[in-house]
Amino acid sequence: MVIFGLYPLLYAIWLSLQRKHPVTRKLSFAPSYNWSKLLGDERVWNALGNTLVYTSAALLLQLILGMAIALLLDSDRKGYGLLRAMMTLPLVIPPAVTAMMFLLMLNGSFGVLARGIIATGLLPPGFSILGTASTAMAGVLLAEVWQWTPFMVLIMLAGLRSLPKEPFEAAAIDGATATQVFFKLTLPMMSKVIAIAVLIRGIDLFRAFDYVKVMTDSGPGTATETLTSYAGRIYFGNADFPYASTIALLTLIIVIFVSFVFMKAFKVKL
Amino acid sequence: MEQPRHLRVLRDIAAVFVTFIFMFPILWWALTSIKPISAVFDKDRVVFFDFVPTLINYAVTLLGLSRSGIAIDQGIGMGVGGAEAYDSRRAILDSVVVSIGATAVTMAVAVFAAYALSRMAFRGRAGYLNWVLGQRFMPPIAILIPLVTIYKDAGLRDSDSLYGGYLGLMMIYALMNLPIALLLMKSFFDDVPKDVDEAAMIDGATRWQSFSKVVLPMVRGGVAASAVLVFIFSWTEFLLSLFLTTSIRTVPVKIQTFVTSTGNEWGFIAALGTAAAIPSFIFILLVQRHLVRGLTLGSLKE
Repeated sequence: MVIFGLYPLLYAIWLSLQRKHPVTRKLSFAPSYNWSKLLGDERVWNALGNTLVYTSAALLLQLILGMAIALLLDSDRKGYGLLRAMMTLPLVIPPAVTAMMFLLMLNGSFGVLARGIIATGLLPPGFSILGTASTAMAGVLLAEVWQWTPFMVLIMLAGLRSLPKEPFEAAAIDGATATQVFFKLTLPMMSKVIAIAVLIRGIDLFRAFDYVKVMTDSGPGTATETLTSYAGRIYFGNADFPYASTIALLTLIIVIFVSFVFMKAFKVKL
Repeated sequence: MEQPRHLRVLRDIAAVFVTFIFMFPILWWALTSIKPISAVFDKDRVVFFDFVPTLINYAVTLLGLSRSGIAIDQGIGMGVGGAEAYDSRRAILDSVVVSIGATAVTMAVAVFAAYALSRMAFRGRAGYLNWVLGQRFMPPIAILIPLVTIYKDAGLRDSDSLYGGYLGLMMIYALMNLPIALLLMKSFFDDVPKDVDEAAMIDGATRWQSFSKVVLPMVRGGVAASAVLVFIFSWTEFLLSLFLTTSIRTVPVKIQTFVTSTGNEWGFIAALGTAAAIPSFIFILLVQRHLVRGLTLGSLKE
């Protein structure tokens, strides 16, 4: 397994040090070619910006919604078990299928969600959410947030259920308000759980590919182009393997670096 | 804390409402799968329930019937379309073979490796665990590029033989899921006190016997949960399946082919999507209890 995992990585590094001749398509050794091209490529910076927006917006929304829904569903009363079970179902739909689902629902002329929004008067009739640069990212995020908020809910629920009862009883006796209990007790005691959830989700979000690929194919223009989808475009569009590998490696380096800093800062251990 | 009655009712309503919002896309999808084309593409209004349900989308995708054939039989005008293009039986079979194969391979390796990592001290153990975990950081697109080349050279990508397609995808899914299964199984083995093995061995059991007869039966639930997760991850994988093989097509890839230049076949997409989600729904409900641990690679226990 070590060899299996290591070989593609080394191969990708080797590729990133090659230069592909545009006409002869021959590879030649040029260690700095792709990396300097990367620094001067505006699309990389655009993609990095989009990736950061995508990751942070999704993470924030999923975290807040996840916590709120977990608090709501954390009850031993009848029926809540069923609601919690239903809440997990979005997790097992293939992301590529989820993307199709939202593609249909966001269709400006016959999509149920788009027409719902249009009916409120916020958008003009026939407005294409995914086809407009300023709203396309929000459309893709909708699918992402729908599919993965349940993941946060599950983790938060597990965290809530493992909290000791005594501090909460003491707080109730002292007459603490619900807001005080949440910010002074629940949130600090859940910090480890939240950190793990953010780490795992953050890693996945940063590498996100399926939703962008299926829903907008990085478009319109480059409005929803992320690092991985840009690498995909270079790879399958221009067949410039060395440069695509370089972008993919850049993604990997950022993910590892940010995760490492995060794990050290919050003392998280997976 | 006992809440007042009206607050409790309010909370119940909110909880049901929120769950419904999250169920809505799935319900809408299922509804779309039994709608006639005219109801899906109605530009004047959103059709909720006022349509005549039809199973034509399932008949075409799951049974391989031809849409035009059905249309002629029933005397209704419908779009024409090749039967083979939408017959998804092969894709379902391909998905089943690949997912079950990958799950079997992954679990066979993960159970033994996790037991060893949990119970035995050996050199490089910590490094090995970190390496396994590190695999999770890799963007699939980064390994995809070298893999396509390797697969081409090894004849696993474009080969006409099914064997090549199945083997190639199974191997990569097994590899991709091994870290998850391994860490998860290790956390389940760690839950079983070491005294259990030691007691068994004092009673004369060999290491193998104490593993297979004593410890393994105690983590049955964990094995099931890990297997389900590996199965679901393999079943839903899209990127690698799309690019690593040309000889077979799994369901998520097949669905994308219903997006055509003349318009998307939403009815077929919805029918196949709904049908493909059902096995996962059943499996996931069976292992609810261990889900959180599985999704956090064993670092959180419920």
